[in-house]
Amino acid sequence: MSNWKQNLHKTRYVMDAILLISFMLVSAPQATGIAVHEWGSLLFIIPFSIHLLLHWDWIKNSAKHLISNISARQRFNIIWDYAIYLMMLLAFVSGFLISISLFPALNIEINIQDFWSKVHHDSATLLMPMLGIHLALNWSWIVKLSKRMSQRGE
Amino acid sequence: MKYLQFRWKQRLLIVLLVSITMSILMMGLELTDWAVNINQTGYSHGDNDTKPNIPPILMYVLPFIKEIILIGVPLFLTLIWIKIVNIIKRMSSHNKTKHG
Repeated sequence: MSNWKQNLHKTRYVMDAILLISFMLVSAPQATGIAVHEWGSLLFIIPFSIHLLLHWDWIKNSAKHLISNISARQRFNIIWDYAIYLMMLLAFVSGFLISISLFPALNIEINIQDFWSKVHHDSATLLMPMLGIHLALNWSWIVKLSKRMSQRGE
Repeated sequence: MKYLQFRWKQRLLIVLLVSITMSILMMGLELTDWAVNINQTGYSHGDNDTKPNIPPILMYVLPFIKEIILIGVPLFLTLIWIKIVNIIKRMSSHNKTKHG
């Protein structure tokens, strides 16, 4: 496990695990409190960006793949990943627009609208089953990498 | 972290530019009739002062159990769906080779 930084798949695996754990932590404001939820969400941009950077080639080629002759599952996977990205952005945007801890601490005043509260709650809730399906679509990779990571000397 | 460091400034800039542009477009949603309707009728979620009568430890554990269920159930159902589709595909290709 020590050489994971030298292998792209292992780097992705470790960073994706951090992303999943941080997602679960920032998605539970009832447990962590609003302040941790909001400041944690700001920090969550880092593992989320790392996830996108580590899949740069996939992102770059995804549009090309979408119009090429690929299987229905691959096509669904690409569309689903775009949908998760947009839903994540919507949760971010709506979350910042209903901030009661982050923006006031930065001396930024915002007029909180019920609309953004609803959008934030709905998008954040919808993200979880979407993430579940995303994990299922990449399950064979997760299982394969979990085995490789748990092997001694790998 | 050589994979992360490769052209990271340029790539991060593109990711941020695309994300900020998309975010600004999304902010336009508040100008729609949908937003106006919700703002008029009002929306409240979990901001009532009455605390549920459950042990304090569950207050911290239940949100994570909710997350595990919301992520885990669709994950499990999708895995079953993929397995069924693979079985059907294998059976149909087996039939084709048998009859062809």
